Amino acid sequence: MRKVALVAGGLSTWGIRPATWGELLQEAGQELFANARNLDAKDVDSLFVGAAQPERLAFQSHVAPMAAELLGVRPSRFVRRVELACASGQTAIQDAYVAIASGLSDVALAVGVEKMNLPSMAEATTSMANVLDRAWDGVHGGTAPPFFAMVAQRHMMEYGTTAEQMATVSVKNHRFANSNPKAQFYAKTFAKEKLLTGPMVSPPLRIGDCSSMTDGAGAVLLVGEELASKYTDTPAWVAATSQYTDFHNLANMASLTEWTGLRRAAQDLYARGRTDAAHIPLAEVHDCFTISEIVEYEDLGFCPKGAGGKFAAEGQSDLGGSVVVNPRGGLLGCGHPLGATGIGQAVEVLGQFQSTVPAARLVKGASQALTHNLSGSANVHTLTLYRRES
Amino acid sequence: MSAPSKPYLLDFYPLEDEKQTRIAPFFAHLRAGRLTTTKCEADSSVHWPPRVTCPLCHGNRLVWVDLPKEGKLYAFSALVLGLPMGMEGDAGAVVGMVELGNSGVRIFSRIRGRKYEDLRVGDPVEFETYDTGDGRVFYRFVSKL
Ligand SMILES: [Zn+2]
Repeated sequence: MRKVALVAGGLSTWGIRPATWGELLQEAGQELFANARNLDAKDVDSLFVGAAQPERLAFQSHVAPMAAELLGVRPSRFVRRVELACASGQTAIQDAYVAIASGLSDVALAVGVEKMNLPSMAEATTSMANVLDRAWDGVHGGTAPPFFAMVAQRHMMEYGTTAEQMATVSVKNHRFANSNPKAQFYAKTFAKEKLLTGPMVSPPLRIGDCSSMTDGAGAVLLVGEELASKYTDTPAWVAATSQYTDFHNLANMASLTEWTGLRRAAQDLYARGRTDAAHIPLAEVHDCFTISEIVEYEDLGFCPKGAGGKFAAEGQSDLGGSVVVNPRGGLLGCGHPLGATGIGQAVEVLGQFQSTVPAARLVKGASQALTHNLSGSANVHTLTLYRRES
Repeated sequence: MSAPSKPYLLDFYPLEDEKQTRIAPFFAHLRAGRLTTTKCEADSSVHWPPRVTCPLCHGNRLVWVDLPKEGKLYAFSALVLGLPMGMEGDAGAVVGMVELGNSGVRIFSRIRGRKYEDLRVGDPVEFETYDTGDGRVFYRFVSKL
């Protein structure tokens, strides 16, 4: 297959934004066009738009041609929206990769956007209940917080994980977000003591354990290998990508605390990329909740099963540890605009390889990095491995 | 059976009658106080939720079987903040995964009768049905402590 390079990225500012869905996307597009050397809008032959619920949150469907119009591109090969809930953005990148690797596309934009802060918060939350099996799980009040709360309860019970260990993850990711002006929680400090006594959302998860409802957009440009040097001197090469799903209704989840789908997707990624967990210096993972990041350390193979809480508390996932996790600030620090999150992770990896991120979060010399998104009740896992050298 | 009283967009409950679904018997069984699901006669797999073809063998030799009405809490939490529209009045409600007897089936449900703070993993719960307020019927579990 043809090699594929991610050559440029752009982001809107993320947060509670006085801006519409389309305006957020235009902000991200403007930054991408400014960052991509020699990019002419006519070069772009394909557009993949990651957006989880524009029908419910922006009352707009058929969003891909709308996005093309806003970005000033006229795709001649592929144009479509990609929906995979919280993984919509990374899945858009995966589709762009497939299109270019196959030779059917040469220059593709993968963008992601979500406008989640509506006049009524309850209206947005109601739409989140559609992500699980609505008629059988959502109907009882099943949304992300109570689901991941049950994961935390069982992880604490089975492995002795503590609320304090979970808070360590939140403190780390919020600290990293303080070096990221695009993050929702930029320039806001979170003390561990405050996180441990904050309001309960779904026990044992407090507000500091949860990512936020966020407005934001992102865009990345992917091209075939022979075109990469036109747009940048330092691309992020897509070394491998993988995805796995094994259930949807909560009744059919084998274990709350061992995410078999992530184990399988990680094995596939490492095999295709001819590497292993011990050789990943940098990972952008899906910390929708603090407990998610802890389970992900384990099922990505960064530490043994059950040792994720200890791994965080010992600083193993921080700068100077065995793998730096979420230097961008993660979902906890940056916020989680569903469709844009995976794009934001990829922009971070490119910035790390190009050494354009601030020193406070730079992982010096990282030769490869992985990005991970779960979606729904951790029933789908989407992974990409990037390398500095092709 | 009656129709939903609010727009379907904001209505969480499944449409129950035979004009809307092929598993209408599930809801008829609820009315009779039974918790049932489908089982495949070909490979003995028990499904949740009930299906119209077997996802394992793709056959349609399915029969209705009763599930245990008594179970144990496998995991649980409560809806404290961020409740969906239509559930604003349910703050504090407990939800959990219930292991149904020795059936090997574990389902998600609302749990009534005790506060979050007064429950433990392993506590006994029992199936019950309730009227959704518009003539439809649904299920939940109640603490047996
Ligand atoms: Zn079968």
